[in-house]
Amino acid sequence: MVEFFTTNPFGILILTVVKALLILGPLLVAVAMMTLAERKIMAAIQLRRGPNVVGPFGLLQPFADAIKMLMKETIIPTGANRTLFLMAPMLTFALAMIAWAVIPVNDGWAIADINVGILYLFAVSSLGVYGIIIAGWASNSKYPFLGALRSAAQMVSYEVSMGFVIVTVLLCVGSMNLNAIVKAQETIWFVIPLFPMAVIFFISTLAETNRSPFDLPEGESEIVAGFFVEYSSMSFALFFLGEYANMFLMAAMTTILFLGGWLAPFGIEPFTWIPGPIWFILKICAVMFVFVWVRATFPRYRYDQLMRLGWKVFLPFSLFYLVLVAGVLLAFGWLPTAA
Amino acid sequence: MNWQLALPEIFLSCSAMAILMYGVFARPERSFVMSSMLAVGALLLTAMLVLSGTPGVGYNGLFTVDAYSHFAKLLILVAVGLGVVMSLDYAEHANMQRFEFPILMLLAAVGMMLMVSATSLMTLYLGLELMSLSIYVLAAFARDERRSAEAGLKYFVLGALASGLLLYGVSLVYGFSGSMSFAEIGRAMADPKTASPGLTVGIVFIVAGLAFKVSAVPFHMWTPDVYEGAPTPVTAFMGTAPKVAAIVLLVRLLSDPFGALLGQWQQLIVLVSIASMALGSLAAIGQRNIKRLMAYSSIGHMGYALIGLAAGTGAGVRGVLIYMLTYVFMNAGTFACIIAMRRQGRNVEGVSDLSGLGRTDPAMALAIAIFMFSMAGIPPFSGFWGKYFIFTAAVQQGMWLLAVIGVLTSVIGAFYYIRIIKVMYFDEPAPAFDPRPASLSFVVGASGLFTTFFFLFPAPVVAAAEAAAKVLFR
Amino acid sequence: MIAQLAFYAFAAILLVSAGMVVSARNPVHSVLYLVLAFFNAAALFLLAGAEFLAMILVIVYVGAVAVLFLFVVMMLDINFAQLREGFQRYLPIGATIGVILLVELGIVLGGWSLAPQSAGLRAVPIDPNVTNTVQIGRVLYTDYILLFQASGLVLLVAMIGAIVLTLRDRTSSRHQSIAAQLARTPADTMELLDVPSGVGTKGIGFLRPKVKEPAKVAQDNHGHIGHDNHGGHH
Repeated sequence: MVEFFTTNPFGILILTVVKALLILGPLLVAVAMMTLAERKIMAAIQLRRGPNVVGPFGLLQPFADAIKMLMKETIIPTGANRTLFLMAPMLTFALAMIAWAVIPVNDGWAIADINVGILYLFAVSSLGVYGIIIAGWASNSKYPFLGALRSAAQMVSYEVSMGFVIVTVLLCVGSMNLNAIVKAQETIWFVIPLFPMAVIFFISTLAETNRSPFDLPEGESEIVAGFFVEYSSMSFALFFLGEYANMFLMAAMTTILFLGGWLAPFGIEPFTWIPGPIWFILKICAVMFVFVWVRATFPRYRYDQLMRLGWKVFLPFSLFYLVLVAGVLLAFGWLPTAA
Repeated sequence: MNWQLALPEIFLSCSAMAILMYGVFARPERSFVMSSMLAVGALLLTAMLVLSGTPGVGYNGLFTVDAYSHFAKLLILVAVGLGVVMSLDYAEHANMQRFEFPILMLLAAVGMMLMVSATSLMTLYLGLELMSLSIYVLAAFARDERRSAEAGLKYFVLGALASGLLLYGVSLVYGFSGSMSFAEIGRAMADPKTASPGLTVGIVFIVAGLAFKVSAVPFHMWTPDVYEGAPTPVTAFMGTAPKVAAIVLLVRLLSDPFGALLGQWQQLIVLVSIASMALGSLAAIGQRNIKRLMAYSSIGHMGYALIGLAAGTGAGVRGVLIYMLTYVFMNAGTFACIIAMRRQGRNVEGVSDLSGLGRTDPAMALAIAIFMFSMAGIPPFSGFWGKYFIFTAAVQQGMWLLAVIGVLTSVIGAFYYIRIIKVMYFDEPAPAFDPRPASLSFVVGASGLFTTFFFLFPAPVVAAAEAAAKVLFR
Repeated sequence: MIAQLAFYAFAAILLVSAGMVVSARNPVHSVLYLVLAFFNAAALFLLAGAEFLAMILVIVYVGAVAVLFLFVVMMLDINFAQLREGFQRYLPIGATIGVILLVELGIVLGGWSLAPQSAGLRAVPIDPNVTNTVQIGRVLYTDYILLFQASGLVLLVAMIGAIVLTLRDRTSSRHQSIAAQLARTPADTMELLDVPSGVGTKGIGFLRPKVKEPAKVAQDNHGHIGHDNHGGHH
């Protein structure tokens, strides 16, 4: 029986599908609960109550929202490019899902434990921009188009510094395998020696997911709702789910790169009793909390400020820090030996 | 690995970047002159590094330093240095004194040095692109002037096409010989009988791409327009150093890895050479604009230089090197005089603007006369000796036809060179030019002296060229 | 078997989408087909075991280059009738040249045989002991370091050229001096006054801004000014 799942192609296929469902199921529930958590946290920060009518503490609110979305009519504007218009939200959603294939939840617990895992994540996250551009263009409407342009420029700009941050981490690890990256943090989490890079990475993930204070592509006060003005019902819901799943993905990336993935803090007794996946989830939740916290605290950037931060502050700084880290590793002979 | 082989190139590119940083942070009104001065300093130091370099092959056979590359590099550095000095004054008047100008020249120089040291098709291509890209930008440097922008764009589009041809040739040669390295290619083609026709096609494409860079017929079409439109110091620059680099590269390429296929490419070079000489001398006759005239003249000169290559012997290569050396100085001097043709702060470019220069500015008229006589190949000026070495090499190989055509076209060419002298000394004087700045006087004086007195001390130059040619023909 | 099936599927999609890039009527569709073509090329790389190249292809070409293409193409207003105007006219000569080149290629390829020593001549034989990321690194940064740096210089020249030919110092545009803004404290700009009720501003008069506009800061070449003209607002 075990042999069937490890050697037979169909067995492997079935096993992979099951593994994928095991990851995606909880992920979708988490996304749903995240929308509620976000509203609750923001309410707390703004001294309000937040949703509290549907179910105990408003816990069923996300499901009520989902049902509402499903019941609505899908509207396709005249003059819109029908195929692309419907493809865009699916693309966003699918991309947010496939990235999870390489995320290790525990030592070796990944659907695909590939050599270039971090590059895969980076590649998939850089594709997210297509959903937005296609949506903005296919809507054949001016606000979505403006939103799409903003988002294209913004995501491409911040990817550059994100890339440098990732390279810095890779320098310290000597491998692009996500499992190896986490294992390299057994002595110390990278957030401590690479603290500035961790900050840059986190801020770049905010820009990459179009989250406040970099939510210019939506910019509801200027361009209504940016690229998804024209979307309604399920197509809108897919965008929504995709965006939140992307946030989880970015939180998972931050966790893996800087917060030691599934590792318990300090690796000492009381903490190690809790299994790795729980730590992983807790860390993701902490990062997600910061996402919401930032949204409730900071006003939106102006567009030129956003570009200035990306190109004139983050890029030179991350480049400098990359060279510094490389120099330190070389000078002290700490360079990891190539596998 | 002996990375020090490329020390001059490394030093030059690092100093280009350092000057760039200086220019970005310095006060804009001073940065141009200062960075030009720094550039000249960097070129001098690089020349010293070249002189102190030891021969060898490095970087996995991609890069070679030998007497041949030494000769070419020194010549290139001198030519670039003259170009930087010439641009000092012009840039101020044409309102283009931006510090990037000398930096682009330095980077172009790095490209040319890579080209002459290349012993792999990839190094060749990258050096060529580095040089060309810098020159495209330089040609369009006076961006508010329509002609300059047009020149830059034209040069860029045609240059990209030429690069495409070259790359196609490179890929064919790679595909049929199995290697990019000159040594390996040479080994693969040691026996011309088994060499595949694909190789010949590849060589033709590579020669076409390089012929574009040296503006040899039939790839000369861009030359007059670009020469005329580009700012004059840029034209002067384009007419000297890149020509040297491209010719030297062509010679090394054809005689080192493709040496065994002499029979295949010789006719090609002979044809190109004859066509260039004929067009250069005939088309220049009708020109009224002196920059266009110089463009056709340069096409003709490239034709003469190619005779030496067509000869396919050490003597021929020696001739090419001496010819390029004399050509650089004549050309730089002539262009310095053209830059000095300025009335009330405006540059003039007509041949007729020179009328009566013999009376209004005898010194400059004398200099131009020297350069024109030298270009026409009249003894004892240096241009004659360049032609002498080339033609004797051709005659030694029994290429009488080529030598005779060369002499004939020289005679025809002498007509328009001497017409300029006639205009200067026998026509009614036009209003005098503005006073000459010291930088231009320096260039005119230095190249004038070299051109006039070359015949007194040719021995060291000939010996150096001889040693350089020995590298290719042992 | 599965790998072969996958290969043919990806290769077929690659070819079809490459064809669509050229033939699609809408330029945005062309770019999207191009993206699809890149993807399939990446998949082929993966099948060939070159996972690093595959990912880099997606990151660089799909994630950045094609986005910028799309960005530009979306903003252009291309008239296709106009673009295709010369098509009929140039078709004969274009087709002739194409056919000649094709025949030449055919002749050349017909006489082509792989030399027996060609396998030994391969520039970079694959080393099974290291991952291909490491191997690419070795080739690029050790064997071909000279070319790598030279390409860097080429790109530097391209950058300098783009800046030199297009950058203009606009005196009309307003720049922000972040340092000047951050250096400002409430005490510099605000004054609290007791305004007697019922009098209005008569007794105080109209207050001028407390701080002057910051002097023109000579920052690089652009002549920035700190523009915050709401200093001293009462």
